[in-house]
Amino acid sequence: MPVSSQPRIIIFTSSSCPWCNRVKQYLREKRFRFREVNVERDADGARELRRRNIKGVPVVLINNKPIIGFDKAKIDKLLPIR
Amino acid sequence: MERLAAARITARRQKVTRYEVIIIGGGPAGLTAGLYTSRAGLRSLLIERGMFGGQMANATLVENYPGFPEGIAGPELGLLMHQQAVRYGLEEITTEVTGLTLTQGQLYGVSTAEGDFEAAAIIIAAGSEYRKLGVSGDETFSGRGISYCATCDGFFFRDQEVGVVGGGDTAITDALELSRHASKVYVIHRRDQLRAGKALQEQAFAHPKLEFIWDTVVDELLGNKVLEELKLRNVKTGQQSTLKVDGLFVAVGLMPNSHIFFDILDLDDAGYIITDEMMATSLPGIFAAGDIRRNSPRQIAAAVGDGVTAAMSGFKYIQEQGNGIRTANPQADGKS
Repeated sequence: MPVSSQPRIIIFTSSSCPWCNRVKQYLREKRFRFREVNVERDADGARELRRRNIKGVPVVLINNKPIIGFDKAKIDKLLPIR
Repeated sequence: MERLAAARITARRQKVTRYEVIIIGGGPAGLTAGLYTSRAGLRSLLIERGMFGGQMANATLVENYPGFPEGIAGPELGLLMHQQAVRYGLEEITTEVTGLTLTQGQLYGVSTAEGDFEAAAIIIAAGSEYRKLGVSGDETFSGRGISYCATCDGFFFRDQEVGVVGGGDTAITDALELSRHASKVYVIHRRDQLRAGKALQEQAFAHPKLEFIWDTVVDELLGNKVLEELKLRNVKTGQQSTLKVDGLFVAVGLMPNSHIFFDILDLDDAGYIITDEMMATSLPGIFAAGDIRRNSPRQIAAAVGDGVTAAMSGFKYIQEQGNGIRTANPQADGKS
């Protein structure tokens, strides 16, 4: 695996979720790589959110810390962007 | 999509700080205004903080926008409007506007997180955002049972019981969408009838999974880690009750995104910007269009119409002032 300085990012999404697309677009714009888990198709992903008592998407998991929704300020702080 | 991203990056790289028109907000009003000002040859910048398309991006199906007899998905309509505006040279940036000021030489200054911009005319089409429930537990359970997006989160409530608060088009559309997943949908409304359109009402009343709780408000949200129970109150009798739900979808109306304009523009008591029929606000050269405007019917088609009027008024204003910045002028690219 290539050495990477960026934090590990997983985005949990559902199939018809405009804010999920928005958050993916935002991270692409800022040139971060991420893994997407669509919880409607991925039962493990759905279980993972349930374990964390989360019932909504998008969820951005940055180094295992969840941010619920497209919360730009929190994302910028954790990544960090600027 | 890639082309759109490229256009966005280009706008940022050029570091142009001066425009003829700056449009704040990328919903149907702003995108239409941008289409018209760009086609009129005005150098235009559109500033959007969230998602192009605005509120309509949350709509599963838009059935009342003319030209689409079968309806069209909200995000798709937003994307199409966006593509059309960009095609005619509308520049754009994704950032939040933090202030609006009058600078010297009759130009307005727009401050954002990504830098400052100037323009002769401003079109405010910042729209509105969902009103929060505003009760105890609202923040705690956000994403843990409380949701503002039925199409996003309906999936989490398969074979579970959910509530919807509200009685307008959004609330009823949400309730119907949720009925595809949930075993039961309670519609909790503070009045004894719905505000939603007749066609939606008929669908809702005929639906076996929907149950209506009238004249009732949610006072408190209760639960351990996730939302489990609602404390309800009947506004006519004062009687309190509880309702067990796994999720609650909030659709209690919209709030204008006008807080940064309150000290420079005339707003009404609810915070909507007061305009005349030409979309002119209390300051010359500043126009408002769409949901953010007082007495807007808050429909996509109406916002589109407002956008056209505001763009034409902006164009006329710039011509009369004679202070349009010619695109060919090298000083206009802000390198000095």
